[in-house]
Amino acid sequence: MFKELDPILHSQLRLSIVSTLMTVDEANFNFIKDTTNATSGNISIQIKKLQEAGYIQVKKSFKDNYPNTMLSITDKGRAAFEDYVNNLNKYINPGK
Amino acid sequence: MDKTTLTPEESLLLITKTIEATKRRFEENGHIIILWGVLMFTVFFSQYIFSITGLYKKFDIIWTVILFPLGAIYQFIYVRKTINRKNLPKTLLLRVITTMGWAMGLNLMVLGFLFSQQLGDAMAPVFIILLALSMIVIGASIEFKPLFIGGLVLNLIGFCTFWLARDYHGFSMMLGAIVGLIIPGILLNKARRNKNV
Repeated sequence: MFKELDPILHSQLRLSIVSTLMTVDEANFNFIKDTTNATSGNISIQIKKLQEAGYIQVKKSFKDNYPNTMLSITDKGRAAFEDYVNNLNKYINPGK
Repeated sequence: MDKTTLTPEESLLLITKTIEATKRRFEENGHIIILWGVLMFTVFFSQYIFSITGLYKKFDIIWTVILFPLGAIYQFIYVRKTINRKNLPKTLLLRVITTMGWAMGLNLMVLGFLFSQQLGDAMAPVFIILLALSMIVIGASIEFKPLFIGGLVLNLIGFCTFWLARDYHGFSMMLGAIVGLIIPGILLNKARRNKNV
């Protein structure tokens, strides 16, 4: 039977953020903003949801006197993403 | 940008597109490879010109001691600026290439400035072989065949240089710069530009 898709990941922007973080060790807020083309406010909200779910880690610091937010995926987030992709494949190729 | 009702197909497409877009942002455009190729060619070509005009003793130090460190300084500034401008994230690939580039560069400089006496006639072949190794690794890492093949040819040139008289080592360096760095660098630059159009 089909497993329900993870509601945390099954949202365009959150999925975009997690997909980006899957390809890198860590990325700053501006990189995510440039990659997703979303607004800062919207990204902040989705980051908070992902952080609360334990899927990403957020480190805040200062770089050249400017706030610098670094994001990275956690083991839990990585596992959830892999699970999500496996489930997607099952939906698309139910016979396999 | 937030759509909660994605179909499985849309989700997979979004994941693929995002990963592709992320990778594209930290792709090397060949600029640094061309720079070192041109620098290497310029140094050895000018040394050859100086040697046939009898000016070698006056200028060889200036070229070797100034041009290569100048290249290293330029590379440092260029890489830092690129990382800051593009907000480039940390990746395993970037870490491997950067670390290998610096380690190789420093080793080549130390070999050239401190151990040229000990290495004697083996200096140029060792220099070329070490350079070839880095090109092979970078070519394989970024999955760019011309760079990988250029590295292999450079490796071969390095071994062949052992059979040449020392007077011809400069020509090996020039040939190596063209085949192993300049041509693959230009091809890489073209490939990246075409991809971004």
